[in-house]
Amino acid sequence: MTRSAPITAPAPADSPPGRPAESRSRRRSRRVTAHPVAGALFVLPFFLVVVAFLIVPLGYAFWLSLSSKSLATGVKFSGLDNYVRAFTDPLLLDGLLRVVLFGLVQIPIMLGIALAGALVLDAVTTKFALAFRLIAFMPYAVPAVVGALMWGFLYSRTFGPFADLPTLVGGEPIDFFSVSLLLLSLGNIVTWAWTGYNMIILYSALQGVPREMYEAAVIDGATPVQIALRVKVPAIKQAISLAAIFTVIGTMQFFTEPAIMARFAPQISAGYTPNLYAYNQAFAYSDFHYSAAVSFALGFLVFVVAYLFVFVNRRRGARA
Amino acid sequence: MKVKTRLPHLLMGVGILYFLVPLLWVVIAATKSQPDLLDSPALWFAEFNLFENIGQLFREDGGVYGKWLLNTALYSGLSALGATALAAAAGYGLARFQFLGKRLFETALLGMIMVPATALVLPTYLILAEVELVDTMWAVILPSLLSPFGAYLVRVYVDESVPVELIDAARIDRAGELRIFWQIVVPMMRPAIVTVFLFTLVATWNNYFLPLVMLSDAELYPLTVGLTTWFNTAQQEAGTRMLFNLVVTGSLLAIVPLVVAFVLLQRFWRSGASAGALK
Amino acid sequence: MPGTTWLAKLRAGLAACGLLAVAACGGATSDDGGPVKVSVWAWYPEFKGVVEAFNASHKDIQVEWTNVGTGPDQYAKLKTAFTAGKGAPDVAMVEFQQIPTFIILDALVDMGPHGANEDKDLYAEWAWSQATDGEKVYAIPVDGGPMALMYRKDLFDQHAIPVPTTWAEYADAAAKIKAADPEGHIASFGSDGGWINGLMWQSGCRPYGYSQATAKDQVKINLTAPECKRVFDLYGDLVEKGLMAKDPFFTADATAALDSGKYWTWAAAGWTPGYVAGSLKNTAGKWAVAPMPQWTAGADEQGDWGGSTFTVTKQAKNPAAATTVARELFGKSKAAWDIGLNKAFLYPLVKDVAADPAFTGKAYEFFNGQKVNEIFVPVSEKLGEFQYTPFQDFVFGELNDRSAEAMSGSRSWDSVLEETQKNVVAYAEQQGFKVSK
Repeated sequence: MTRSAPITAPAPADSPPGRPAESRSRRRSRRVTAHPVAGALFVLPFFLVVVAFLIVPLGYAFWLSLSSKSLATGVKFSGLDNYVRAFTDPLLLDGLLRVVLFGLVQIPIMLGIALAGALVLDAVTTKFALAFRLIAFMPYAVPAVVGALMWGFLYSRTFGPFADLPTLVGGEPIDFFSVSLLLLSLGNIVTWAWTGYNMIILYSALQGVPREMYEAAVIDGATPVQIALRVKVPAIKQAISLAAIFTVIGTMQFFTEPAIMARFAPQISAGYTPNLYAYNQAFAYSDFHYSAAVSFALGFLVFVVAYLFVFVNRRRGARA
Repeated sequence: MKVKTRLPHLLMGVGILYFLVPLLWVVIAATKSQPDLLDSPALWFAEFNLFENIGQLFREDGGVYGKWLLNTALYSGLSALGATALAAAAGYGLARFQFLGKRLFETALLGMIMVPATALVLPTYLILAEVELVDTMWAVILPSLLSPFGAYLVRVYVDESVPVELIDAARIDRAGELRIFWQIVVPMMRPAIVTVFLFTLVATWNNYFLPLVMLSDAELYPLTVGLTTWFNTAQQEAGTRMLFNLVVTGSLLAIVPLVVAFVLLQRFWRSGASAGALK
Repeated sequence: MPGTTWLAKLRAGLAACGLLAVAACGGATSDDGGPVKVSVWAWYPEFKGVVEAFNASHKDIQVEWTNVGTGPDQYAKLKTAFTAGKGAPDVAMVEFQQIPTFIILDALVDMGPHGANEDKDLYAEWAWSQATDGEKVYAIPVDGGPMALMYRKDLFDQHAIPVPTTWAEYADAAAKIKAADPEGHIASFGSDGGWINGLMWQSGCRPYGYSQATAKDQVKINLTAPECKRVFDLYGDLVEKGLMAKDPFFTADATAALDSGKYWTWAAAGWTPGYVAGSLKNTAGKWAVAPMPQWTAGADEQGDWGGSTFTVTKQAKNPAAATTVARELFGKSKAAWDIGLNKAFLYPLVKDVAADPAFTGKAYEFFNGQKVNEIFVPVSEKLGEFQYTPFQDFVFGELNDRSAEAMSGSRSWDSVLEETQKNVVAYAEQQGFKVSK
């Protein structure tokens, strides 16, 4: 899997220590050219955008987070106080816990379905499979806002077909917005929207697996399921873990769906997810400083989790 | 063989139902008047009111829905063009040149992909307010130009598909660097460029948080913000304004162009994925 | 300020209106010679006609109106604009409970020096006192929400259940309703901060005290007083017995439930007739309005739920002209109130408008011809002083979230107000206030 190298090996540390430096630089010189000015100029416009809309805002957010604003006494420098507050704020920690729980359940389910779908698509090439592939991808085209509104209507007793289903057999109607079901209802929206997308990613990866890799297994009489689990899945491990990272990042930033769903279900509290909490701190309680600290802490956490994920994967990959 | 594929087909059938039913609901609901929307069976047609709904949709609030549609197309089109151009140049520069700070920048690129976009919106607002760009189209477009993922994808693609020998040969022929990029490299990395374009287009088309914070003039809203505003009004003022049917019809018209484009262009997503970035 | 120069240059380069032709350019400035333009943010229904009436009757001031969203959406935009130091309108619609919040954010202009104190006797006393802080006039009242009990007269009559005049009778009626119709509930506990606040107000509970003019950093929080607690005791008991539903208000589902006989009453407000008349089609004509049940038989305690004002923001370019707009958009304008009462269904806080026989004598088809304003108007007159905190969003959020926990069973109803009190006090102290009970 040499192609995956750029993702896991951005640093030169990959080469074994004993290797002569000379051979390494020769290898590199075949790939890149030393035209420092031209190269830098190609990257410059992008770099400027990075500075203006990533580095400067991040720096500004960090600077904001180092002072506190209290309604009664105004703004003053407070060092890391906001971070201490953030990591001891029960509302924020509640939200964080909720998102972690949500992720632990929703991500494996979604990626499991996506992987199963991709394996089926890889093995079955009927017209029906093509239709499935196209339809499963459609929800990705629906903006998250519209998707959440749509599901809000679908969950509602007045508009939707599902809530009253149990009454047909004499049961109680389902309240999808009740506190006990809310997280599941949200999980379903996310699963609906993103499963097809992940399926396509994994399917493409499967298509790239050379057929020779499992021809032997076919001759040995292995069943399609055995081939799928023993050959194909290990072969696209890298793609699976990348899909997982991006999903984890997305889940940690969970915002749009609960923000929209709160219009249907007012029991979605101000700190339902960390990102929602940061939003409310800024836009409802006017505390931009604390909001920045929450955002920053969250971003840092996402970064650490994602990097750990990459790191662990690389270690495992290296051992395998 | 037939017997063996029965189970997969059954599962795919369930999947099709799951992914399709909500979309079908929007289609059906958009054909209903507001009273029917509340009263008639959810997954079957009532009196056909689609054209009245569409008419009302484009008349409500002085025809602002049409503006939202145009705004959305404009913002996502411009953002995607700009972001793709920047990412293509940067990805090529990183893949085929050596310069000071390159390694550091490449490592940082991975980190950038992981920065939560929502964490940036607030400080970006305060900065753009300083330069008086808030509540203009640029407040949505400029931050959307940032696509570290796009640059990364192009870099990987160029690494694999644009031979150094070709570039060296062009240099020997005394071709300028810009000309090499434009006439040789860009045509070779077209699949990656299309993929980046589509990714950034969708990202801006779907964006809610950024325009929500940046814009307060309803004439400048994109669809996502506009429809949400209508939905809130419909909830708060149930007695005086009937808007649920417009929210539903507006949602349908908002997703139709994207769904069609997606189905037609799906191979580019796959080519982007198999370009190596996600493999 | 360091860095101002390059910013100024950048600004000059970017902000030229020609460059940003697509964007809203200009705004609320007075063009030389022409009329003064005043920008207004408001989300009243049918407000276009009110603006047109104002513009037609004023030659020197013209209103430019934008609807940037309802309630919280608009406040979010206002707060961002104040943080950024630009982008706010000249005049903004603000609900009563938000006034102290915007005062402490230093967002509102004192309209006193621009002659607003002349309007004192025009408005209901409770409203004027919430809009002002001593001689400082921060807001001009427009509409309110004096509370009364809406009930299904047909069902109460049919089952011979007496209309409750006390909360004890209300609880009895709840049990009888359940007996008469297992699907029926006396009402729903909406976990809406403003509604709960109205119920507590009506119970004689005065949980908050704040005056910026007296002491900027002192605030009174007393949510655990007996008058406050008894509201939660009663409603919690009804919910736990299954006599009261748990659906939130203002969703399509809640509207449908009101319209299907699931709820037999709704402790509603002066703006409700308009709200329900448009959305409840099946049960129109079957509803009636009675005064709120009392905690002590024969008492006359009242409460308010909702209501809004016009404020002039600190970013107004011409505060005097903006004050005129805030005072006269509705104020004494016959044309504006004609729209306000008959199309937007506002409850007027202008005393003369509320006392006008055209208002009090108006028979509502939805209430089977009942002249419901005869009930609402005396309520508004009876309302006394009630103050809010300068962080009411947080308080309402807490009330809402803790009640939701109680309804889901993860918290005892007993502890809702205690927990809210605890969290609100902690928040207030964290925000630098000295808190008293």
